[in-house]
Amino acid sequence: MSRLTTLATSLSALIGRPVVAADGRRLGSVRELLVDPSVTGNCVAYMALAAPATVTAHMLPVVSVLDVLPSHKEPLRLRSGAGSSELNLPERVVFLEKDLLDQQIIDVHGHKVVRVNDVDLVWEAAHGQEDLWTLRIAEVEVGIRGAVRRLLKGLPRSTVETIAHRFQARVIPWEFVDLIDRDPSRRVRLKVEQDRLSHMHPSDIADILEELGPAERDAVFTSLNEELAAEALEEVDPKLQKALIESMDSERAAGIVEEMDPGAAADLLSELSDERSEAILGEMDPEERQEVEELLEFPEDWAAGRMTTDFVQVSATADVATAIEALRAFEGDTENVTEIYLVDEQNRLKGIVALANILLASSHTPLANVADSRLVSCALDASGKQVAELFDKYNLRSLPVLEEDHQIAGVIHAEHVIALLRAER
Amino acid sequence: MKQTFWKRWRITIMLVFAALGPGFITANVDNDAGGILTYSQAGAQYGYSLLWTMLPITLALIVVQEMCARMGAVTGKGLSDLIREEFGLRLTFIVMLLLIFVNFGNVMAEFSGIAGSLQLFHLTKYISVPVCAFLVWALVVKGDYKVVEKIFLFASVVYLAYIVAGVLGRPDWHEAIVQTIKLPPRSAWSDQEYLYMTIGVIGTTITPWMQFYLQSSIVEKGITVRQYKASRLDVIIGSIFTDIVAWFIVVVCAATLFTHGMRRIDQVADAAEAMRPIAGDYAFILFAAGLFNASLFAASILPLSTAYTVCEGMGFESGLDKTWKQAPFFYWFYTLLIVTGASVVLIPNFPLVRITILSQVLNGLLLPVIMYFMLRLINKRELMGDYVNSIWFNGIAWATALIVTVLSLVLVWRGVVQALQH
Repeated sequence: MSRLTTLATSLSALIGRPVVAADGRRLGSVRELLVDPSVTGNCVAYMALAAPATVTAHMLPVVSVLDVLPSHKEPLRLRSGAGSSELNLPERVVFLEKDLLDQQIIDVHGHKVVRVNDVDLVWEAAHGQEDLWTLRIAEVEVGIRGAVRRLLKGLPRSTVETIAHRFQARVIPWEFVDLIDRDPSRRVRLKVEQDRLSHMHPSDIADILEELGPAERDAVFTSLNEELAAEALEEVDPKLQKALIESMDSERAAGIVEEMDPGAAADLLSELSDERSEAILGEMDPEERQEVEELLEFPEDWAAGRMTTDFVQVSATADVATAIEALRAFEGDTENVTEIYLVDEQNRLKGIVALANILLASSHTPLANVADSRLVSCALDASGKQVAELFDKYNLRSLPVLEEDHQIAGVIHAEHVIALLRAER
Repeated sequence: MKQTFWKRWRITIMLVFAALGPGFITANVDNDAGGILTYSQAGAQYGYSLLWTMLPITLALIVVQEMCARMGAVTGKGLSDLIREEFGLRLTFIVMLLLIFVNFGNVMAEFSGIAGSLQLFHLTKYISVPVCAFLVWALVVKGDYKVVEKIFLFASVVYLAYIVAGVLGRPDWHEAIVQTIKLPPRSAWSDQEYLYMTIGVIGTTITPWMQFYLQSSIVEKGITVRQYKASRLDVIIGSIFTDIVAWFIVVVCAATLFTHGMRRIDQVADAAEAMRPIAGDYAFILFAAGLFNASLFAASILPLSTAYTVCEGMGFESGLDKTWKQAPFFYWFYTLLIVTGASVVLIPNFPLVRITILSQVLNGLLLPVIMYFMLRLINKRELMGDYVNSIWFNGIAWATALIVTVLSLVLVWRGVVQALQH
């Protein structure tokens, strides 16, 4: 790797700087920095000499960053022969001032929504090639230092820097920044390079959704794939769930609801208006639709209203290998499975096998040998309080909910109980 | 058919009640210590002759508050957030500094109200103010704010006390109503004090901080464009209710204090004591209890709202769901506002009422500035879409901003001239 010569600067320091040609002729002043993520990645491509009135403005007078000779002195001087030109704006361009400064961004690493005070930029040139500079976006400043620097702009630069450095800097490296755009179509286009959100935990995404305004929220949510959207949706506040689902078309909503846990899906649909939930159900896969519809029949405060219908059951005469097969074929969330249920020919619950016991037994051991025959279960109409008491008393991780004929209707997991207890608090 | 009608009717009522929140609460906080004392002074000093301001102020209040509610519902962002995003850091910083200065005056006014109202029950301010300051601080920081807000909303019933007090004061109803719909004689305007009180009355009814508070509450409640109609009703009901109460306060003071030649309220106690022989013991107690409730209510909301607004605008971590460590600026700023606001009031011989009314005049001076930003924001189509202001709204709002600006400039200019003459 060749060594780099670097020169640090910032967005606020560049905006407003006069730009002069090599012969000293004044061309204008920097009004905006343009980044085209698909071409130059995290480097600034152009400096615009006029502020774009709207995102859809097409022609802008610009100078290419490659023509600029960086310095800390006031006017930015261009290399000889270079001048300004009219740029036909590419589609995916990001305006640093308009899109970033003072706007909210997602700090993917810190799982937060923060406001941008300044953007730190670095001039870079390979050693020995100090006439060819690129301008890289290093980090986003969200702390007091950036704010002070901007508030004091106009005073001599050295004074500003001395004062600014008395305050602690809080920066987010550019690779942990996800932009939010109010215009969903534009955001999706940016997303091709900005897909950092998808590495976050769904619960953290849920927190971020809760912090955003409706337009930004919808834009961010739209950019998630169905699976991630479903997981995040399970974690957000019911009021917000409703708002998010209501703002999208039934087809996409159905796609997301299908990916959700049936119990959570039923809870969500029951919050919506009848027409809306019918419309979403209509778009769903028949199998999943039936599951959710059955759950919708139960009152919310019954055990049956809280359970999920995703669980694993095998015949009571089967061996460990069969159980493992069943687990592999299981379509729901495998992380939620803590035990496997044994049933007789009439599908009645006969035993419960903890996952750990399956792990420890050899593959030909009959499941009945490792099963716990002291069955703890509850009825469809058990109250939340009763369910919580069972979990507490028997130290359960999950609890089967039985129909009158002892068939398993569904399972309640510990996380449902925790959510229930917190809601009651 | 009948059943569906009832069902629909019931849903409508429930929607209204569910939405009866932000707008109604904000409007009620508006009748805080500053409000009550300013209205009282207006009635004591000028009798019924400032009542004409009530109708235009109510209209302006509805328009301004509705704009905030609409911006909150459409953008899902607070007013300081929007100012920051659309006008940049520097302007936001300046607006925040002004707001802190003016709001600090209001916090002081709330503690003056607490001191004054409890003095009526012979409780010295050196005990009442520190105790109430601590109570307010602890309720919000350690307690559950949602519960606190509900208690205060219920306590809004106490405001009805002023209507009762008004009736007990046996005012001249005919005169009061005539003065409400009649403009004052032109000669009134040459009186510097009359102008001062007019700005005070406007400033206390349409306060800058209310706009920030209302918009944040709408956002906090998650009200979106779909539920927005109910919110608009909430704002209108709240604004009308608050101004009816204000009208009665002016009337009761006009009927008692003005009529009996007590033109200058120097102590809250004076006002209430003067009321006692004329309007009876009940009016006295109602007046005192109303003032106490209003002051305590506003003393808990105002510093909190200021802390939220400033943190949002400047991008600091904020929120009661955060810990002290996560949002240090937020908590320290909130605490500092309460501590300093309460301490100033403890200075011996502190002119409680005069400072309170001054703080309301400062509200009036800042109002056009905030309204300028609101109007610029709400007319941005890229922000508000189809929910930009109609011509009528723009007309009323700009007119309000303009009138208050002109009045403020005249006041300041006369003040300067006077200062030079001395």
